[in-house]
Amino acid sequence: MEQTEVMKPETLNDLIKVLHQIFSSDTVNVEEVQNLMESYESKPEEWMEYAQFDKFRYTRNLVDEGNGKFNLMILCWGEGHGSSIHDHTDSHCFMKLLQGQLKETLFEWPDHKINGGMTKKSERVLQENQCAYIHDSIGLHRVENVSHTEPAVSLHLYSPQFDQCNTFDQRTGHRNTVKMTFWSKYGERTPFVR
Amino acid sequence: MDVYEGLEGEKVLNLSRLNLDNLDLDDVGEERKRDTQQLFLVYNRFIMLPGSICHFSNLVFLDISCNRLAFICEDILRLSKLKTLVAKNNRLDEFSLPKDFGTMSLEVLNFSGNRFEEFPSEFLNLQRLQSLSLGGNRLKSIPAEIEQLTSGSKVLVYHGFRPECATKLYMQITVQLALQFSLMCNVILRHFSLIIQTQTDFTKLKHAALHILELLYLGGNSITSIPPELANLPYLSYLVLCDNRIQSIPPQLAQMNSLRSLSLHNNLLTYLPREILSLFQLQELSLRGNPLVVRFVKDMTYDPPSLLELAGRTVKSRNLPYKPEDLPGNLVRYLDLASKCPNPKCGGVYFDSCVRHIKFVDFCGKYRLPLMHYLCSPECSSPCSSNPQSDADSEDESSVPAHRMQKVLLG
Repeated sequence: MEQTEVMKPETLNDLIKVLHQIFSSDTVNVEEVQNLMESYESKPEEWMEYAQFDKFRYTRNLVDEGNGKFNLMILCWGEGHGSSIHDHTDSHCFMKLLQGQLKETLFEWPDHKINGGMTKKSERVLQENQCAYIHDSIGLHRVENVSHTEPAVSLHLYSPQFDQCNTFDQRTGHRNTVKMTFWSKYGERTPFVR
Repeated sequence: MDVYEGLEGEKVLNLSRLNLDNLDLDDVGEERKRDTQQLFLVYNRFIMLPGSICHFSNLVFLDISCNRLAFICEDILRLSKLKTLVAKNNRLDEFSLPKDFGTMSLEVLNFSGNRFEEFPSEFLNLQRLQSLSLGGNRLKSIPAEIEQLTSGSKVLVYHGFRPECATKLYMQITVQLALQFSLMCNVILRHFSLIIQTQTDFTKLKHAALHILELLYLGGNSITSIPPELANLPYLSYLVLCDNRIQSIPPQLAQMNSLRSLSLHNNLLTYLPREILSLFQLQELSLRGNPLVVRFVKDMTYDPPSLLELAGRTVKSRNLPYKPEDLPGNLVRYLDLASKCPNPKCGGVYFDSCVRHIKFVDFCGKYRLPLMHYLCSPECSSPCSSNPQSDADSEDESSVPAHRMQKVLLG
């Protein structure tokens, strides 16, 4: 079957089904995935079980492992929660807003000699249902919920899967490899095990 | 799009997004009102909290966010079981609250996105409060009364039947202990004629309000400084001060052993007090968007010490004995404030007069943060400040073991 027309997934489960189909092939059409994810209209009752917040920092909640081809997860951002500047270990990264807003700030990869901090490329505030895309070839980013009153929820797809990345100090460009963990998997809380 | 957890079914009443400006709910039966434990009135047109709210006598949770509330009436005080009150995105300020608001049993209070310019004093009386959110208001300061009692009050205990023939036992204990001690002693007073006199007026003592506060969200205001009294909240684990105008952090914050997460991003900090290294429970610290000093600034200003300070230093560094009865109370308190010079090779102390020395300390071996040292004099330099212009290696005593400060959201 031709995949030229964008099929609008009505439910989250529909979206996951179509993603499985798309990722069964070896090549990824970035635009196709981005349009597909953007076309799903967020319905909280469909993802509420994955939206588990922590008061101290943002959480990563695994939704689907995509037959090993991708990770689909829901991130929950309390008021003021943000990430450090990070890369994506050469994987494709799609980020769709399910609730609230997130500010994304893009940065250039740091040079050896940094004076005056890492270079900001651009910033924008993503609205509900919008889907952003990033890859190491585009640059690095920081994602934050700048609202002091509203929590935010986002749906992320990473392909191929990865469990570690680099974080960067904005002032010096110094990088640090970190392992990423899940707050919950398939709706079940999974405390971090060393 | 309201996402909420909680009981489903009969005990939740959701009246959100109904264009309501009154709560004359004729079609909601009296029994239903009495049974309701969670009430949502989000996204309506209320200007005042409706008086009929008191009919929901068993209400535990009330969310009246995103209305036009300018005033909360006294009727709310009749909701004796109310534990959570959420009133985000309204038009409330410090004059909107009823006088006895502080007598409520609230545990969670969220007034973010309103128009508070002053920290409402009524909040300081909420004995059961665990979580307080005032993000996105117009606060200019945090009151020192946030911890109403100072610790370290002195308690004089007379043992005996009459004060004039009593043996004085002089103790310095924390106020909380003093309170318990006095309550206990009042009970046994009649039996043992134990007389207690204190320098603190016990009639004003009560358990510190906000004593059990765990979460304090003050992000997105106009706060310029942090009172050291904030450190006296013994259970505070999550403190958010991002997006304010804070220029410095009081070193007393280092006493907050309960602090797990500290949010300071987007302020006006140029350095941090070195004491911050002692917050061993701290796992998250955000510092981005502060003008943190990157290069060592060689400009060290030094005010010569006063005679009082020199005398105090002599007393302390030579361990001259003195008893509290020997000195006026203000001098005893002054001597108690002596700080040890952080230079390990120096045995000196300082009081008010100190040299600020910004030291770059390797943080978890990864980052460089400007931490402020106080030294007793410009001559008293730390061993490895010989080349302050470069990113010098940090001293052993200042380097933080890797297991501390694990997730430092810097940059």
